[in-house]
Amino acid sequence: MDVDTGNMTQTNLVDKVVVPGDVVLDLTKMENQTIKLGSGLRQDCDYISVMQAGKLRLSKPNKYWVESSQKRYVHRLEDTVLGIVVEHRSDNFLVDIKAPNLAFLPVLAFEGGTRRNIPKFETGTLIYARVVKANGIMNPELSCTDASGKAAEFGQLKNGYMFETSTGLARMLLSSPTCPVLEALGKKISFETAVGLNGRVWVNASSPDDVILVSNAIMRSEFLSGTQQRIMAEKLLERLQKS
Amino acid sequence: MEDRTDGRNANQLRPLGCSRTILNRAHGSARWSQGNTIVLAAVYGPKAGTKKGENPEKASFEVIWKPKTGQIGKQEREYEMILKRTLQSICLVNVHPNTTTSVIVQVVGDDGSLLPCAINASCAALVDAGIPMKHLAVSISCGLMEEGSIILDLTKSEEEKLKAFAYLVFPNSPLSVIDKVHSSKEEPIEHGIITSVSYGAMPVSGYFDCLERGRAASAAISEFLRRSLQKQSSEDASRAAQ
Repeated sequence: MDVDTGNMTQTNLVDKVVVPGDVVLDLTKMENQTIKLGSGLRQDCDYISVMQAGKLRLSKPNKYWVESSQKRYVHRLEDTVLGIVVEHRSDNFLVDIKAPNLAFLPVLAFEGGTRRNIPKFETGTLIYARVVKANGIMNPELSCTDASGKAAEFGQLKNGYMFETSTGLARMLLSSPTCPVLEALGKKISFETAVGLNGRVWVNASSPDDVILVSNAIMRSEFLSGTQQRIMAEKLLERLQKS
Repeated sequence: MEDRTDGRNANQLRPLGCSRTILNRAHGSARWSQGNTIVLAAVYGPKAGTKKGENPEKASFEVIWKPKTGQIGKQEREYEMILKRTLQSICLVNVHPNTTTSVIVQVVGDDGSLLPCAINASCAALVDAGIPMKHLAVSISCGLMEEGSIILDLTKSEEEKLKAFAYLVFPNSPLSVIDKVHSSKEEPIEHGIITSVSYGAMPVSGYFDCLERGRAASAAISEFLRRSLQKQSSEDASRAAQ
């Protein structure tokens, strides 16, 4: 098998923008290889085609996915999300996470949760949780503990301000190394944020001015490059005479 | 060859325009213009639950057509039904079963070829909302003149004068890594047809001529759609990735 020419024909769409219907991989040319498909790709008999428009990415050796940014969220396992409680049933809280279905948060899925100390969340409570069951068809299930059962910052988020963004901006804020806008703001203001991969961001700081400043800076940074983000953040800080 | 009122030749399309993500609250939106025919499409969804009578194992679509003026009547209901069937056939309905996606179409300007413009706008809006799709749809109107020649992208006055015309919807031409040798065994995907709505009486040969011309022109629209999707998407991605 001539691996070199095989690789050339198959990866010439990587890092290019693809639209639904484009064929990105021909499986008949790749024998005995395992390929991992992420979001936006599906298998159609002998080839892999695109479901959503976006940039095709490859993480060597074999992970392919389409990077796109939407206003809605598709639930995935082990994602951390910010949900809003909609209803309290006997066994579960129903939580809205901007997905096609409402998510269930079992009342016992908290650190040290027993039938006696069920938390009292009213409708509208903001929760930081982790997706533990994400079968595409059924309602996703959340949990407010990490894998070892500890609370680890999950749970209700009090005070602060929550705003909605696209999923692409949420991913950028969570990327490592630290996103430039958060770094630039962190040098002058102390604040805390929680970013949900479902496109919700919560910001809390000691004064309302700081909260508004941080939220505006984050919302404006979506389409800016690293240096542009730093410049924008510094301009905002100057306006409020923090520097 | 007769001259067309706006000076185009038989195969020329009106200037196309497409902008996406224009509405703040909609999950996906697009505005598509072909000359003076302008349509705004908004997509909300997928939302949980299906309507009564719809199959809960598939995602269902709901289309609402809003005319520029006047009350909603039979013509709007017909457009809604055609649009719903077209969108159902291009979207993957098994990815999010038991959900409803709403598409709302608002007519901003009507100068002929309204249904093709609406289909193009809805397809762009669905891509903007990230609804999983098999491929894109491009739509065009073709008219049959008396002497048998075909004209493309009809204006309202041409539609009224012509004896017969058709609205055609084709799949777009995909980019593919499959070798040409491999795929020449089957017909390329853009030779299929998704929807065809015809008005008036035309001979069979005339209809097939319309199909051919329409298919050839749909390659141009497909290329335009791809470029407009790439332009917006690469601007966002290149800025956000840095």
